[in-house]
Amino acid sequence: MSKELIRLRDLCMAYDDELVLDHLNLYINDKEFLTLLGPSGCGKSTTLRIIGGFTAPLSGDVLFDGVRINDVPPYKRQINTVFQKYALFPHLNVFENVAFGLRMQRRPDPSDPKRKTKLPEEEIRQRVLEMLEAVSLKGFENRRTDALSGGQQQRVAIARALVNRPKVLLLDEPLGALDLKLRKDMQIELKRIQQQVGITFIYVTHDQEEALTMSDTIVVMDKGSIQQIGTPEDIYNEPKNAFVADFIGESNIIDGVMVQDKLVQMYGRQFPCLDGGFTENEPVDVVIRPEDIDIVPVEQGQLTGTVTNVTFKGMQYDIIVDFRGFKWLIQTTDHSPVGARIGIKIDPDGIHVMKKSRYSGLYGDYSSFSDEYDELDAAEEGSDEA
Amino acid sequence: MKRGNRLGSRALMALVFLFLYAPIFLLIVFSFNKGNSNIVWTGFSLDWYKSLFQNRLIMRSVYTTLLVSLLATAIATVAGTFAAIGFYSLRRRSRTALNTVNSIPMMNADIVTGVAMCLFFVAFFTFWGDFSVWFNGVQHVVVLPERLTLGFGTLLIAHVTFNIPYVILSVGPKLRQMDKNLVDAAQDLGCTWMQAFWKVILPEIKPGIASGALTAFTMSVDDFIISYFTAGSSSSTLAMTIYGMTKKRVTPEINAVSTLLFVTVLALLVIVNLREARAERSGEERRPVSRKLTQMLDTPKGRVFRRGAALVLATSFLIAVILLTGATNAQPVVNVCSWGEYIDEDLITQFEEETGIIVNYQTAESNEALYSLLKSGAGDYDVIVPSDYMISQLIEEDMLAELDYSQIPNYGKISSRFKGLTYDPEERYTVPYAWGTVGIIYNTAMVEEPITSWSALFDDQYAGNVLMFRNSRDAMATALSYLGYSLNTTDEAELREAFQLLKDAKNRGVYQSFVMDEIFQKLEGGNAAIGVYYAGDYLTMLENNEDLAFVVPEEGSNWFMDAMCVLKDAPHFDEAQAWINFIASTEANLANMDYLWYASPNQEALEQYPAYYEELYEEELGQETFDIIAAPQEVLDRCEAYLVLPMETRRLYNDLWTELGI
Repeated sequence: MSKELIRLRDLCMAYDDELVLDHLNLYINDKEFLTLLGPSGCGKSTTLRIIGGFTAPLSGDVLFDGVRINDVPPYKRQINTVFQKYALFPHLNVFENVAFGLRMQRRPDPSDPKRKTKLPEEEIRQRVLEMLEAVSLKGFENRRTDALSGGQQQRVAIARALVNRPKVLLLDEPLGALDLKLRKDMQIELKRIQQQVGITFIYVTHDQEEALTMSDTIVVMDKGSIQQIGTPEDIYNEPKNAFVADFIGESNIIDGVMVQDKLVQMYGRQFPCLDGGFTENEPVDVVIRPEDIDIVPVEQGQLTGTVTNVTFKGMQYDIIVDFRGFKWLIQTTDHSPVGARIGIKIDPDGIHVMKKSRYSGLYGDYSSFSDEYDELDAAEEGSDEA
Repeated sequence: MKRGNRLGSRALMALVFLFLYAPIFLLIVFSFNKGNSNIVWTGFSLDWYKSLFQNRLIMRSVYTTLLVSLLATAIATVAGTFAAIGFYSLRRRSRTALNTVNSIPMMNADIVTGVAMCLFFVAFFTFWGDFSVWFNGVQHVVVLPERLTLGFGTLLIAHVTFNIPYVILSVGPKLRQMDKNLVDAAQDLGCTWMQAFWKVILPEIKPGIASGALTAFTMSVDDFIISYFTAGSSSSTLAMTIYGMTKKRVTPEINAVSTLLFVTVLALLVIVNLREARAERSGEERRPVSRKLTQMLDTPKGRVFRRGAALVLATSFLIAVILLTGATNAQPVVNVCSWGEYIDEDLITQFEEETGIIVNYQTAESNEALYSLLKSGAGDYDVIVPSDYMISQLIEEDMLAELDYSQIPNYGKISSRFKGLTYDPEERYTVPYAWGTVGIIYNTAMVEEPITSWSALFDDQYAGNVLMFRNSRDAMATALSYLGYSLNTTDEAELREAFQLLKDAKNRGVYQSFVMDEIFQKLEGGNAAIGVYYAGDYLTMLENNEDLAFVVPEEGSNWFMDAMCVLKDAPHFDEAQAWINFIASTEANLANMDYLWYASPNQEALEQYPAYYEELYEEELGQETFDIIAAPQEVLDRCEAYLVLPMETRRLYNDLWTELGI
């Protein structure tokens, strides 16, 4: 699993003088499920199109198995793609859609190696039917594609790509058009397929939950640059900057000062933590996840604040607490009424300290919090992706 | 909505449809009329359709129309489809700009497009002439043709040009509807761009291409104006031929051909609309039959069949085109421009069969129209048949070629009375074609006593019943004759006096209207009592109204001679002389005289015509009728031919005519 398959070296890309990729460097291992995660316009789809060969980078190299493939056209790359909205061929039925790639293939004639020959019809038929079975579409061969549901079309698109036995499968927001329930099922299904065929998947999404569920490695991108690369756990627990912390899950991000190793100061108060390696009194961003905060009686609290909003979420309450004008989100199973004064306590392992970055001060305040906030955000991002 | 309102709007709608379709309905009905009238129904018959299919001119123009439409459609469809794909791949802003540019030719007035193209072609030919002369001079390996002319090629180019926007317009939306990832997907699955085009883009935009091609074909078949300016002398589309035929009068044959054209265009429109309706339905259930067919054609055998069928179709189309164009190019041709209904068309067939020379026969509206055609460079003819005064002008401007009379032995049969006339005194340029007189045609049932003088045209007792010429020269000639002045006078006082006579009569309401060929309908239908027109045409009217009489007034009148000439630098000089000799023959003159009822200049034909007539119709030709066709010498002696007028006088004619305010 550790063999390197694809390397992107110093990729730059611009549309209309606007930089879309800014000196991107990335390597992708064989058989890895890697997700490019970021908001719309971050460059993740462009990166995917460059790997697929549909777009040429302004500068930089794409290496495949150590060979530069910048000038190799898409139809000669051992890479296949599942497109946004599937891009199934409307004039062909399910069988012919899946068989399309195989019908295009030529291989040396066994009797005369200099000549190229088509795949035999019997082999095509067998491979297509096998693939349709693998994506649970047995018996749908003669259907028109526009007579299928979104999930079924999705699976045809995957079968159409995988039947060619590529080394890498690119998936461009493949679940974006599905409803929530189907999306969850397909996440599991996709992961299962990836493990079954044992090839590299490069997956593009703006949905952090999707990324966390399926990926071996997540690459968080913003404004054409990689913000962080890591396993889902790393990304969640040890975000590198305020952007990553905010984009992955919920975070309260507070200005702080690193007094010394393992001691950070916020609101004039010192909190023990587990981080180190900063210079003395270095200003930092402090991330505290909403579920890592305990509500305690006022007199026992490290900080005290006033409850301004409570939302019941089933498993827990989302509580907005005002600490001297800065609003925190706290997730807890205990109910506190609006207007109540509460104390809070944070364990040292609930505090994550980050270096200051260009994202400092932009995220992590819940002043304008509302239930729909995140959903609106997600809908907006899903609507257009260059 | 109130009931009354609804009734009212329905009635209005019915009225609108009546106005829209009644004329076409009438035309279709009268195409089945037995007689040759457009007013009186004399019984059902298919004769006009039969004669239509025997009419060489019409059939040839049908062929030209189909050939140019099919070729232009094929070329424009391919070019337009690729252009649309080019547009589609552009950024939105440039695409919008280009779409606007694309739609301008469609909105532009056809007449502007036509004139512009004509100018462009002629300018290019001039440039090409200079270039090829130079090019052929500096090297001798390749010999470029030095003389290019308007013809089938320019007609085709023009049609392709005005068809392309329609194809782009109907393919563009199909491309935009297409999922833009489809091409990427095809390339991803192993297609080169070209393969992706054939396997994915083409099936997706096929409906757009098909309806674009149909629209283009309809436009091509339908076009008159642009064709008129770009076809030159050697090609004539159906619309142009119909127009040429209507110059004289609307015969039921025209009704028949118009009916067929209407039905063809209607059928094409229905097909286009059905396709669109079906396209809207697709996505819903397909019809079982078509689904079954699709499935059948989707089997491997079906695919082979489909490909085979397409191949056979394409190949046969190509072969047909090559054969047809080759056939027309290989044979010698002669380009003739004459007047509408001014020849017995059997003569053309006969000439072609005898000599193997193809005759491209076109018509002009008047001497003046012919003159401007020649001057613009668009009228690239070999033989023209202008009238006397126009011949003088053309000779003056050195536009005619000297004939080699040794190659036109039939010139010897022309009566010496008609040789060496004022327009060609030295007999160098012309061979007379036909002649006639102008006189008064009147309805004996509508006037008290026989008319003998031009005074009838200025007489209050016929107020509201007189039809006057709608052109200055002929109208003024009636007044000048009446006053006893020369038809060619340049004396301003005389001209003003004649004009005053006309103007006063007009103000007193003597004239019902000023007409040209509308006179046929008016006099035949008894809508007017008196008119002034050509003797030959009187006999045509007489067939439909026996009450009509004709007189060359005692004061004298105009007599005219139309003669065949060859244009200077005519590309087919020998063929032109062969044509002229053939037409000058006694047989041809007899046939023409019988068809036109204009007099022949051929002495033998003049003498033999009464016997010819008797044999053909098994009745005697009255001396009176013969004298109307071919006025006896004493009548001719009273008459005067037009001469070309000096510029000053022409200007005065113009000013006076404007003052009359027709």
